[in-house]
Amino acid sequence: MKNYYLSENDFSDFVTRMISTKELIAPIAKGPRFVFSKIKSPSEIRLDYDVTILPPKKEFFPPRQNLVKFSSKGYEGCIDPKEKILFGVHPYDVKGIDITDTVFENNKKDMNYLANRRAATIVASNIQKVSSRAFWDTVGADIKAKGHDAFLTKISDGYHFQTLTTKGDALISCGKFTAATEKQSSEAKKVNESVNGTCPEKLKHSSKDIAKKVRDSFSKKEMWDKMAQRCFSCGTCNIVCPTCYCFDVQDKWNVDQTSGVRTRYWDSCLTEEFSKISLGAGHSENFRESRGSRYRHRIMRKAAYLNETLGGPACIGCGRCSSGCTANIADPVEAINTIMEVK
Amino acid sequence: MSRPKVGFFDFTSCEGCQIELTNFGDAAFLELLNHIDIVEFREAMSEKTDHLTIACIEGSFSREQDRARLEDIRKRSDIVISYGACASTGGINALKNHQDDYKKCVYGKDCNMPHLASQEARPISAAIKVDYQVHGCPMDKYEFLDIVSHLLHGKEPVVPTYPVCVECKRNETVCRYDDGDHCLGQVARAGCGAICPSHGIPCEACRGFVHDANEESLVQTLIEKAGFSKKRAQSKSRMFTANLRSDAQ
Repeated sequence: MKNYYLSENDFSDFVTRMISTKELIAPIAKGPRFVFSKIKSPSEIRLDYDVTILPPKKEFFPPRQNLVKFSSKGYEGCIDPKEKILFGVHPYDVKGIDITDTVFENNKKDMNYLANRRAATIVASNIQKVSSRAFWDTVGADIKAKGHDAFLTKISDGYHFQTLTTKGDALISCGKFTAATEKQSSEAKKVNESVNGTCPEKLKHSSKDIAKKVRDSFSKKEMWDKMAQRCFSCGTCNIVCPTCYCFDVQDKWNVDQTSGVRTRYWDSCLTEEFSKISLGAGHSENFRESRGSRYRHRIMRKAAYLNETLGGPACIGCGRCSSGCTANIADPVEAINTIMEVK
Repeated sequence: MSRPKVGFFDFTSCEGCQIELTNFGDAAFLELLNHIDIVEFREAMSEKTDHLTIACIEGSFSREQDRARLEDIRKRSDIVISYGACASTGGINALKNHQDDYKKCVYGKDCNMPHLASQEARPISAAIKVDYQVHGCPMDKYEFLDIVSHLLHGKEPVVPTYPVCVECKRNETVCRYDDGDHCLGQVARAGCGAICPSHGIPCEACRGFVHDANEESLVQTLIEKAGFSKKRAQSKSRMFTANLRSDAQ
């Protein structure tokens, strides 16, 4: 771990040098929202963003990802990682990437994800603006963000830049960095500590207590149905979630009818047919037919089912689901606080 | 499937889906001709045939006298595909279903001319068995191509059953509601790639509702998040879903 300082005036050159070496992905404005996007010029970067529409996992696991191309001559895999720098990732999203790293590493390694992930350098950054539905300071609060290569913090007159890996160290040559003074490092520490406790929404219980109570509430059908009454089954809460990793695989033929491509798409367990399965002979069954059962499944997955595998909840408190839900029912804080109070 | 004999038929519609299909110079249709034989197509030829592998039908069923023609097509065809919103859901034509003065509004003093007589607009499936549907106004020619490709390979076509929101979020489009607008994407059938919201235009559900669309929640959302009056919120989704709404006539 090494601590550096970069002056405000030298930031633009640092970004320009990074762009000249690798693809640089960073938050930019899109209408009233923000998105991670390929950067062409330093002035596009908005480190004062609150939260992006989609989480940065899209850089490793895109919403539509070709897996195999086939033709009459045979087939070939589509793994073709590009070296990228993912810049300005908030600590909660670093935790999200850590979770998708675990699920795609576990069991059979998913190389379509891992190849992209391994080719990436991740630069985290401090949260300059807290989004209106955030609760990252009370969900899995004891879990540290890890897996990033460097951490950039805005301090007075410039930036504090902490490198954590050799990939992080490699970025130092892109900018006019000097060794950080003790004062600069302690200012950076304070900046990052000061955002804790500022999230507008709060969970009131520990992850462990929540996991137990959520599991114990499985059979409270009336409660789940009531919570899901306004659900559109539109899948937004899944698609914007940093920790959702389900996908559907479909083949498409090209118009020549001999070649084509196999593609995977982000899928959503809130949509009605997600859990529809074939029973053979033209019959099918949907094992989560009601809105309430699908809503319950999502809360179970986020607050209880994966906790042992991940060492904490499969939720990082970004609030994307809460703000994306047009019926305003997806908010995990509201759901969990309600569950905790129901006798 | 050996080289199929395909026919195209039109009923009550603007024939815009045929235009979409044949968009000049587009590979989606011209290259498809290497794999199918077109044996009936009123706009392009006068020949008729006894047997069709695939009949593609555009337009809604809105006159009782069309039933016999539809039944004749069904009898001659192995597979029937309805394409476009009018054929698959009744489309925009079904807007007249809950009104009784539409003929007077449109045709004025000539409204009682016999050739203007029609009934409520229904999907083709209201008259005959339809095997596959291509949704949308207009239909998406690439989706049409995908369905036909699957059939050529003897595979069951897979079309999205989830709402437009899924595709919109995959595109990372700014939600219309976040832009102070309204949208029907939560209840509308996807498959279009959420093209309208990606251009800043609300989804009008031209592909119809998803199964079990939460109409009550939509009305409440339009009132609470888009500032609609109750009356407007209640009628908003009707443009393309008149036959699918819970108040369908």
